[in-house]
Amino acid sequence: MMHVTTIQATDQTGVKAPTRRALAKQQTRAKVLAAARRLFSEEGYEGATIRDIASVAGMSTGAVFANFTDKSDLFREIMMNDMVALADSMREATTHGNGVDDALVRMFTAGYNFYRTQLPLARAAFSVGWSPQEGPALRSSPPVQSLRDLIAEQLAKGVESGELRADTQMQLRADMLFEAYLSNYPQAIFEGWSIEDLQARSRDQIGILLAGARSR
Amino acid sequence: MTSPQDALSQDDSPADAEGVRPEDVATSTPSARQTQKEATRNRVIDAARELFDTNGYQGTTIREIASHARVSVGSVFTTFASKYEILSQVMQDRLDGLYAELDRVMPYLRGSTADRLRTMFAIHFAFEVRHKRLFLAYIGATYDWTLPTTSMLMGRNQRLQEIICECLAKGALGGDVHPEADPQEVVDLLMGAYVWTYRLAAWDDADAPAMTAVMDRQIALIATGFEPR
Repeated sequence: MMHVTTIQATDQTGVKAPTRRALAKQQTRAKVLAAARRLFSEEGYEGATIRDIASVAGMSTGAVFANFTDKSDLFREIMMNDMVALADSMREATTHGNGVDDALVRMFTAGYNFYRTQLPLARAAFSVGWSPQEGPALRSSPPVQSLRDLIAEQLAKGVESGELRADTQMQLRADMLFEAYLSNYPQAIFEGWSIEDLQARSRDQIGILLAGARSR
Repeated sequence: MTSPQDALSQDDSPADAEGVRPEDVATSTPSARQTQKEATRNRVIDAARELFDTNGYQGTTIREIASHARVSVGSVFTTFASKYEILSQVMQDRLDGLYAELDRVMPYLRGSTADRLRTMFAIHFAFEVRHKRLFLAYIGATYDWTLPTTSMLMGRNQRLQEIICECLAKGALGGDVHPEADPQEVVDLLMGAYVWTYRLAAWDDADAPAMTAVMDRQIALIATGFEPR
């Protein structure tokens, strides 16, 4: 944001007003997003209202609507920002992996670690993810797709290194690994599983799903 | 909102229709009240099933359920603690029928463990797809914020888990399931695959055979993980 201000201030003196307005708009958006994140975490998706979000952000509901079309727009923005950060930390985790199984376990664990401190938000994301209106868009969004790709990449690496045999089931296997990763969240959300529990479960699930592809 | 008094008078009508005379009510109050409670419960369940199936879980209110069942909101709440509890009961009633059917069928299933699992899940899809929105309501409600975290979980369906375990145990005896395979892990993977397959119904409008085909491939893949090496 700062560099935009600098460029405009030096090149186009006299048009500072729109810049300042743009900056203020950015700050308003950031304030609304922070308030929304807090309320979604505390009240869940259904429980958080635009009115409450505006009040926590210290502005009018009109000001919120000037920046976001509706609640789902707000939630989507939070989810997308989170998932870009999540994809980065998961990718980073895979680079420390010793073999396919280990890389995947590390990747999944990075995901569980990321959401461990904000399980209510994860719960709201699952709720939205299954809704007929929002679900398909969330599931096919670029950040989610990049998580799927990351799994497929690990399998491809395994084939390259000779750990796995290439077969026709690789795509299905990658999809099922992603679902296995997601399917452990309810244990974390509802049953208070620790990172170690989730890690152990993931390792076994990965073992089962890769069994048919191992080179003998 | 209708008063509890209205609810009582409304609830009297089915009892009258069943031939309970006022003097019976006077002499055998507990059982008459029981009958009445049962009738209210059934009407609420029937109304809720229809509404969830048409409008989904979020799109249905307790008030609408009460009005559709022609009972008061108050009398809905004397029978059920929450909307989720109604949904849970609707699902339970339906599943009782499904599992009675499966108990009859399962002993006669032939073939490998994977084949028996395929047949068992195919029966589930054929059963649930008739009330797709209802099932999706159930999945969505699992993550409903307002529920206590101890509420019954989607995918924690005990009866289904038992059936899978029985299938695996039979397979271990028959030799196509590795004796050291952990049944709970296989159960969790199968349940995950099963629930996830409903996305096809939700978003792609898939029918039961299409869902079964996808599930079959997933079962085959999981089976390579539990078969003896």
